[in-house]
Amino acid sequence: MIKRTVTFTVFLILAFTFSFSQETNANLIAIKGATIIPVVGEDISEGIILIKDGLIEDLGKDINIPQGAKVIDAKGLFAYPGMIDGLCYLGLSEISALRSTIDYREIGKVNSQLKAVEALRPDSVHIPIARANGITAALVVPSGSLIAGQSGLIRLVGWTPEDMIIKSPVAMHISFPSVPRRRRGREAEPREEPSKRVEELKKILNEARYYEKRKEAAKKNLLLTYPDFDEGLEFLVPVVKGELPVMISVHMDKDIKAAIKFVQDEKLKPIFFGVEQGWKVAEDIKKAGIPVIFSSLNNMPPKWEDGYDGVYRNATVLHKAGVKFAFSSQSSSLAKDLPVHAAKAAAFGLDRKEALKGVTINPAEIFGVDHLMGSLEKGKVANIVLADGDILELRTNIKHVFIDGKEVDLSNKYTELLEKFKKRK
Amino acid sequence: MKTKKFLVLFYFFLAFLILVSSSSTYAGSVYAIVNCKVVPVASSAIDKGVIIIRDGLIVSLGPSEKIVIPEDAEVIEAEGLIAYPGLIDAHTNLFLELPKEEPAQRQRGMAPQEKETGRYSDLTVFKLLKPKKTTIGSYHKIGVTTVLVAPKKGIFAGQSVLLNLNGEKAEAMVVKNSVALQINFTRARGVYPATVMGTMALLRQSFLDAKHYHSHKSLYASSSKGIKRPEYDPFLEALVPFILERKPIIFTCNNQEDIKRALRLIDEFKLNGFLSGANEAWRVADYLKKTPLFVSLHFKPPITSIYVNKGEELKEKAEKEIYPANASNLYKSGIRFALTSYGLTKASDYLKNIQKAIKAGLPKEEALKAVTIHPAQFLGVNNIMGSLSEGKIANVILTSGEIFEEKTRVKRIFVDGVMFKIKKPPEKVKAPALNLAGKWEGTVISPMGELDVTMELEQEENEILGTITSNFGIWEISDGILSGNDLTFTISATIMGESIDMEFSGKAEEDLIEGTFSFSSGSAEIRVTRVPTSGF
Amino acid sequence: MKKKIIPIFLGFSLLFIPVLASGQNLLIKNGTILTVTKGTIPRGDILIINGIIKKIGENIEAPEGVKTVDASGKYVVAGIIDSHTHIAITAGNESSEAITPEVSVRDVLNAEDTAIYTALSGGVTMVHTMHGSGNPIGGQNIVLKMKWGLSAEEMIVHEAYRTLKFALGENPKQSNFFTATPRYPQSRMGVNAIIRRELLKAKNYKEQWDRYLKAKKSKKSAKNLIPPRKNLRMEALADLLRGKMLARCHSYRADETLEFINLSKEFGFKIACFEHASEAFKIAKELAEEGIGTSVFLDSWAYKIEAYEGIAYSAGFCTKKGVLVSINSDSSERIRRLFNDAAKSMKYGGLTEEEALKLVTINPAIQLGVEKIAGSLEVGKHGDIAIFNEHPMSAYTRCDMTIIEGKIYFDRAQYLKEREEEEKKKAEKEKKKKGEKK
Repeated sequence: MIKRTVTFTVFLILAFTFSFSQETNANLIAIKGATIIPVVGEDISEGIILIKDGLIEDLGKDINIPQGAKVIDAKGLFAYPGMIDGLCYLGLSEISALRSTIDYREIGKVNSQLKAVEALRPDSVHIPIARANGITAALVVPSGSLIAGQSGLIRLVGWTPEDMIIKSPVAMHISFPSVPRRRRGREAEPREEPSKRVEELKKILNEARYYEKRKEAAKKNLLLTYPDFDEGLEFLVPVVKGELPVMISVHMDKDIKAAIKFVQDEKLKPIFFGVEQGWKVAEDIKKAGIPVIFSSLNNMPPKWEDGYDGVYRNATVLHKAGVKFAFSSQSSSLAKDLPVHAAKAAAFGLDRKEALKGVTINPAEIFGVDHLMGSLEKGKVANIVLADGDILELRTNIKHVFIDGKEVDLSNKYTELLEKFKKRK
Repeated sequence: MKTKKFLVLFYFFLAFLILVSSSSTYAGSVYAIVNCKVVPVASSAIDKGVIIIRDGLIVSLGPSEKIVIPEDAEVIEAEGLIAYPGLIDAHTNLFLELPKEEPAQRQRGMAPQEKETGRYSDLTVFKLLKPKKTTIGSYHKIGVTTVLVAPKKGIFAGQSVLLNLNGEKAEAMVVKNSVALQINFTRARGVYPATVMGTMALLRQSFLDAKHYHSHKSLYASSSKGIKRPEYDPFLEALVPFILERKPIIFTCNNQEDIKRALRLIDEFKLNGFLSGANEAWRVADYLKKTPLFVSLHFKPPITSIYVNKGEELKEKAEKEIYPANASNLYKSGIRFALTSYGLTKASDYLKNIQKAIKAGLPKEEALKAVTIHPAQFLGVNNIMGSLSEGKIANVILTSGEIFEEKTRVKRIFVDGVMFKIKKPPEKVKAPALNLAGKWEGTVISPMGELDVTMELEQEENEILGTITSNFGIWEISDGILSGNDLTFTISATIMGESIDMEFSGKAEEDLIEGTFSFSSGSAEIRVTRVPTSGF
Repeated sequence: MKKKIIPIFLGFSLLFIPVLASGQNLLIKNGTILTVTKGTIPRGDILIINGIIKKIGENIEAPEGVKTVDASGKYVVAGIIDSHTHIAITAGNESSEAITPEVSVRDVLNAEDTAIYTALSGGVTMVHTMHGSGNPIGGQNIVLKMKWGLSAEEMIVHEAYRTLKFALGENPKQSNFFTATPRYPQSRMGVNAIIRRELLKAKNYKEQWDRYLKAKKSKKSAKNLIPPRKNLRMEALADLLRGKMLARCHSYRADETLEFINLSKEFGFKIACFEHASEAFKIAKELAEEGIGTSVFLDSWAYKIEAYEGIAYSAGFCTKKGVLVSINSDSSERIRRLFNDAAKSMKYGGLTEEEALKLVTINPAIQLGVEKIAGSLEVGKHGDIAIFNEHPMSAYTRCDMTIIEGKIYFDRAQYLKEREEEEKKKAEKEKKKKGEKK
């Protein structure tokens, strides 16, 4: 009788432990045998990455793989941090000719209240396609107005927008007033007095400052009038306080210089976007310590005099001057091409390792999430890409993608249609 | 009552003036221009020569010793002056009165309001002529006696007319009506063709249709029995002589590709084609050996040019150095050409740009030929003009020095034997003290009484132009100069079909202009104040 | 007799050695030669005489006076051919009417379009520049070599097929933009019907002329017959029906593509290839059977609804099914990176490096009818060559030199040198100015 109870208890205990270890298996993954390119730190050949509860528990050559871990054989593969897109419209734009599918543009000049993440469509067909090419996070932005609104950093997986948000707001987006560009074949439009518009911008920021001050003063003294709510100014308060960074779209050399002066005068926390003529004023940007997100490297140089390779060599020149930069796809349907921009910069002089940083650790640092992602380091989130080659190369195939330690489905609209028509005889 | 009486008296007063004034006399006068250097262009220069003009023609010219001065000739002492043939501007769009176009009220997304087919082959520009005294005057100032006025609008713009600027009446000015058919590589509006490739197809189709029309008509004419009657088509009717009888066609070419387009058409359809515009003709000089070429003196590089797309610096260089050298380069390639003002808006720019072309390397003698004998030859009128020789039309200019020199001024000009004195531009001109543009009203006070007038003035730096309106009608204000506060201008008054010039001299203040009119026998005072503009 | 014939024959044959008007002599040494059609030579030379490739091999000695280019460490490939662009012309689309086959881009060429230089910087030596896609029947196209600095006439490639642009779908039915003057057709039914109508009219026109010419020959009528009016629009379509021109048809959806194939059979005209053909992968079977090629984007898609199923795998998938596929740019920007687009077919489509390279070299050459003179590095073909610093199918590659018929039209090293000198001059000028100011 005791024998049976003991056996039964032992059986129960074993069953319990067994089921318990099944649970831990899902959160415990070991990627074994890949060449690890951590971006920060030395590459590790035939290394092991241990993922636990969504984070990188450990990585190295001789790591102990705990019991119950799901082992993924990555021999012959390369492990990279998931790439981060410096600026795109994923989830905000489906078909560019159909306005009903575009939600990153608004009318009006001052739209500081808009939050890009609130228009996210998690089921956009473009997200799985980008994800399948190794992009795991992206900055989605509003665009078009003088003050366009607030961007957010999203992970490229999730059932709901809530699931997808990593950080929002990341920055307030401003289009720096500049002289309209001469169109080829037509005379330049009459000069718009950009200086007037800069004054306008300064005025708005100043009003936000005083709005906040009045609010604070009123809070301390019941007798003072509490200011009426002002939507435009309300959301600018963290900007003028230097808490929320501004991402300023600026392109030409003179405008970049003016923008540098502007952010210094206004004591803002700047990031510059676009900067196609940045190579002309690299020293100034470096001195000001402003990081740069490049626009798509497919853009033509703004002026013939910039040279046929004007935009291509921009990264090389800025890097040499010591400016921190990241790349962007500036797209939704072609967000998957983020690595192509980085490789293009490398083709025109940028060190390949630096190019890789431009889509991994650099954007993470610029957006203030480098404690979470951007490299394969202990304690960071397990956003990992396993590829059969250099992820910036065109012939490389991505085999596995992990976001927050979970492997994600690489099927997408491309593969679904392909499979369907493969069946046609 | 008083006004009516005044008007009648004033009317007679002016009529009297006309009989005694002598600013211009019509053909019928005999002149002997003596003691000047004569540059006939088609023959060698004469150091001290005489030109005899009678009934609008040069009856004789030669060295002073050899020419007998007729008794009835008015002797024009021209010592120190040089006589040249009157200059010919072989492509201008001035003088045309086009219906005032409403500024394109086109809103985004709305259809163009008008449809312009661009097919006006039957339009003779003579019908649109509106010769303005001021424009004629500005041409006289630079020595131009003859212009080819070309219609502007449309693909088949119409037929051009050759004018001698001898006065005001359009009829009297016509040397040759329907000189050539003008074709532009432009587009229609609101209908086919909307692109130049469509225009080329349209041109080819039209030429084919003209041939077909002609053969149908000829067939019908030879025996109408059993043949379908051809439908009358004014467009094709007008086109036939140019396609089948080799009447000249002038293609306006704004860039080198236009030149090649024209040459292809000329070759395909065996046309008697000329090229005009062509301010970058030097770039396709190899193609240009045979075709008469009218080169415009506007130096702006066309939009398609490489000089426009490679940055600001090159664009400026193109306009200041490269394009002005067009004529010089053509000359070096051995190509004959005429120089025109096509593309320029002011007659004075025509002279300025000839000077620039010379500075850029075109020999002066060639420039002179390009505005005298060459255009005359191309246009088939070299038997009657283009050089100074016996029997040719008396288009003569007397200049104070070598033609096209900076300081040289045209002193007198004869057009069809009609003599015009060119007024001296004021020696020292100060910057204008104020802007007189706008409406003014006031009175003219003469011994006969008062006349109410309104003036509308335009001002560009020192130059004042405008109109003065009274019960007599609207008269042109020309040659106006504002130097500091000193104002002078000329009014060309037309009374009973006769024109009479009245000189004004006076002072202008912010709201007040005062001064005196003088004419050959008397003067009148004028006082006008500014009409306040209704707040803006 | 025989003795005389041989020298005469030799004399005549000399006449047939092709000599190109703007061709030059050049020797390229020590590069990795990607012939496209005949494999790779790891370290080889190419000799070009008078613009024609005379020798390909190892250790070719430079004949006297021939310029040499050192391609050590570089990749030498046939010049890239872009079979669908709108560069070097000053007019795009004759939009005033729906049917305008009489117009030709040959009449609006512009040799000074800086896009030509942009194309050269991307290794492109030849383009098929086309009428736009706003009309069901558009206009006639032309093939040009990117001879920057020469005249438009010198750029025309006369060996190419004559082609006529057709368009189906959203563009010709005017549905994805606002127009104040909509015209028939506004539906796909209308687009098909209007094409059929015009071809029937052309057939009729041909019939009228044939009858007239026949009657003219017979004695009875002769004198009083009025010839039919020569109509350039109908002439163009008649040439299509006579086989003197090939159709190049812009289409996106699989169904409209199939309908056009039916039209071509109904009237007996030939289709050279379909432009864009986003959904070609759905009908790869039919395209392969009919022998009709496609000229596509690799991955530009979802910009309008008819392009919403244009998957990046299409080019590779169709190639594997036996369809002749080329990749085009249709853009004066994308023309710089056609080799990148082709390379993507390795990732999306599983093509090999050689197959991917063909998409922008020999394949478009065949579609344009110029495979005898371009598209690969073979003796007897024109010396149209692009030299890259890395393999052209690598993301890290860069075009360093572009050669057409033995003449160097783009040289990055020379470009950089000149730029450096210019910048020095500018800096000196600035110094002087500042000095003078003081």
